[in-house]
Amino acid sequence: MRNTNVETAPLIEFTHVDKAYQKQFAVHNLNLSIRAGEFFVLVGASGSGKTTTLKMINRLIEPTAGTITFAGRPLVDQSVNDLRHQIGYVLQDGALFPHLTVLENAAMTLNAIGVSTKDAKPQVASLLDEVGLDPARYLNRYPKELSGGEQQRVGIVRALVANPQVILMDEPFSALDPVSRKQLQDLVLNLHEKRQTTIVFVTHDMDETLRLGTRIGVMHQGHLEQVDAPSVLLQKPKNSAVSKLFLQQHGHTVSDVIAHGYYETGNGDEIPRVTVEQTLADLAQALLDAPNAAVLVNQNQVITQALYLEYMANQQE
Amino acid sequence: MTSFINFIQAQGDTLRNALFTHIGLSLVSVALAMLIAIPLAIALMNHPRLGEVMLQITGVIQTIPSLAILGLLIPIVGIGTVPAIIALVLYALMPIFQNTYAGLTQIDANLLEAADAFGLSWWYKLFKIRLPLALPLIFSGIRIALVLVIGTATLASLIGGGGLGTFIMQGIQNNNNTELLVGAVCSAALAIIFSIGLRLLSHLSLKKLALVIGLLIVGLGGAFGFQAYQQQQHQEVVIAGKLGGEPEILMNMYRELIQQENPKLKVTLKPNFGNTTFIFRALQNKQVDIYPEFTGTVLQNLYPEKLKSHNPAQVYQQAHQVIQEKSDLTYLKPMAYENRYALAVDQQTAKRYHLKTVSDLARVSPQLSAAFENDFYHQQDGYQGLKRKYQLHFKNVKSMEPSLRYEALKNHQVQVVDAYTTDPQIKVQKLVVLKDDLAFFPPYQGAPLVRNELIKRHPEIQKSLNRLHNRISESEMIEMNYKVTVKHEKAQRVAHEYLKSYRLIR
Ligand SMILES: Nc1ncnc2c1ncn2[C@@H]1O[C@H](COP(=O)(O)OP(=O)(O)OP(=O)(O)O)[C@@H](O)[C@H]1O
Ligand SMILES: [Mg+2]
Repeated sequence: MRNTNVETAPLIEFTHVDKAYQKQFAVHNLNLSIRAGEFFVLVGASGSGKTTTLKMINRLIEPTAGTITFAGRPLVDQSVNDLRHQIGYVLQDGALFPHLTVLENAAMTLNAIGVSTKDAKPQVASLLDEVGLDPARYLNRYPKELSGGEQQRVGIVRALVANPQVILMDEPFSALDPVSRKQLQDLVLNLHEKRQTTIVFVTHDMDETLRLGTRIGVMHQGHLEQVDAPSVLLQKPKNSAVSKLFLQQHGHTVSDVIAHGYYETGNGDEIPRVTVEQTLADLAQALLDAPNAAVLVNQNQVITQALYLEYMANQQE
Repeated sequence: MTSFINFIQAQGDTLRNALFTHIGLSLVSVALAMLIAIPLAIALMNHPRLGEVMLQITGVIQTIPSLAILGLLIPIVGIGTVPAIIALVLYALMPIFQNTYAGLTQIDANLLEAADAFGLSWWYKLFKIRLPLALPLIFSGIRIALVLVIGTATLASLIGGGGLGTFIMQGIQNNNNTELLVGAVCSAALAIIFSIGLRLLSHLSLKKLALVIGLLIVGLGGAFGFQAYQQQQHQEVVIAGKLGGEPEILMNMYRELIQQENPKLKVTLKPNFGNTTFIFRALQNKQVDIYPEFTGTVLQNLYPEKLKSHNPAQVYQQAHQVIQEKSDLTYLKPMAYENRYALAVDQQTAKRYHLKTVSDLARVSPQLSAAFENDFYHQQDGYQGLKRKYQLHFKNVKSMEPSLRYEALKNHQVQVVDAYTTDPQIKVQKLVVLKDDLAFFPPYQGAPLVRNELIKRHPEIQKSLNRLHNRISESEMIEMNYKVTVKHEKAQRVAHEYLKSYRLIR
């Protein structure tokens, strides 16, 4: 189980932040603290202001009101490029430069802080290895010689190699097929666990949100509706906007989860905590209360938290 | 084909020089255009409005006829290489600017966003990202410009800039298809070779490319600068001439005559100006001191006036006077020969019908067919007026390209053609020139047109040049033209031999 309670000073803090385009708010009165080391996922429907929020962190977009601080200092007091050198960025389609090799692409963020491509090579190579790309085979390839998943792995290496304090990712896996998406999700989870680099991750994919986030911010029409751990969101949605996203299956019962095959067999000696007639909200509560995050439903059918989240995510689609 | 090879053998040196000049002109022009257009496109890439305006401007420049640009440039920068390069640079701007601008502005927005997000410097983004990504388009712009410029550079010959255009213009002038073809084929071949060369270069990295281009600019710039510097240093008297062998022969005579009296005077020749207006402008603007001009041209083109008579001496007097009154020039004494329109027939026809004059021809004209050059056919002072004056009624009259009419005559499709009285074809095809017994055609006598300032500085030049007064008969001029334009002898030698044989020089 990952550490969901990193109690440290906020690394990034939004205070009363607005971003308006011609009097139309893309983001309105945003107050948000992102702590060092957490895996923060911003989720919401299309046009809800996720990208706008993300890009205000590295000043690709400037807010029209309010303040944003990074490591305690207002963004506007820092040199833009110095700031950006501390913030990694992964774009949706990888955004690798077609005229540069994998090495040159990945070394770019180090070039930005004065490290030559030649000197960057060992670091790039070891990170490539870490994300599952054999350096000997991949260093000198061009982006068009890579699959979409491989391109995105290089995109991640490029963001990581300069050792930034935080990495921003805007729907990095949305263009990938389900298998590659799953692999890359595992990869970033792994990297996050190892390095504890702060990650701010934007997606509109519920499965992804629940799999990745240690904390989740839900956006709706420019407003940040709720920020909580995944299980809390499922259990206690603040309003209908949030519950719509997370509990669309309201009225569904535990039997639906069983029927869709989201259970394991075993633990026949425990007493069932929920019955198949109970609601999903009851199930979520039971999962929160359960010491091992798993509940016995029938004689030998167990629903774990992971299976439940997976079911919820898949029902979204 | 054999004539092609013969020509290249005979004119090898001239051709090589012309090729070198042509390549030099083209490369320097494109290089300068790159130096202007690429930085400009970089400066404007983030200012779409200004960029649009600039696209329009370069597009408009492109639509200005090249002759107009050359004409406008002569009073400002003179003649020769400089105005030619300026005009070519102006033409090369558009494709290079347009492609560079498009290349720089049409880069995937995601890539630019990524580059921004990584906190890369402006220079890094320009040289490592924007320019390399735009490079294929920039290259194709340069290639388009180069092909365009190599084609347009043929116009440089109009203002004494040299190059392959000289061959093309001379070919047209002399009805010499071989010469014309050599010029055209070389220019086309150059365009193709450079286009392929550039395509090969486009595979080089940006660094190597910059090196190649840098070396090219330094080398060519140096060579041209040196040449221009040398010219500037020594020019004392500049003699120019229109396109063709005849003016070149005369220019060489002028030089020898002047240097006989004045051996220390540096005399520069600028042959092959394509166009009366340009050479006259150059004279007025003091880039040229002397050039041979015809009395008829003075009174019909330079200072148009109605001819008071068709008597050669009186026409010369009239031209002399108008030059004296209206310009800062002096029209020195004319030579003997006239180079004007005439009708000619082949010997067979002349013998058969006993033809000596145009009046003779008029009698038998209903039995004969004629072919005339397009201009001559349509002009009032050409065939249209002549027909009325002499009551000509040919069985059949065609207007055609200059060289074709001689072919038609050779093949006996026609018996009568128009000709210039000093046309070497008269000798080649053994034509009989019919006397204009009613004096219909205005006389065209050649004489040096000289800037007064030069005469004031070197009064003896007047005497030197007047040695040609009443010299050179039509048959002598035909003979000399034949040697230069058909036999490809050096104009300098032909001129020298003539002067020598009449003891005009020691
Ligand atoms: N440059 C802009 N000019 C005007 N409106 C904009 C601009 N950029 C974004 N918007 C608007 O701001 C709102 C939020 O956009 P944003 O890109 O942050 O949404 P998002 O949550 O990332 O959506 P998606 O999931 O589709 O990427 C949208 O309504 C969008 O139309
Ligand atoms: Mg977005």
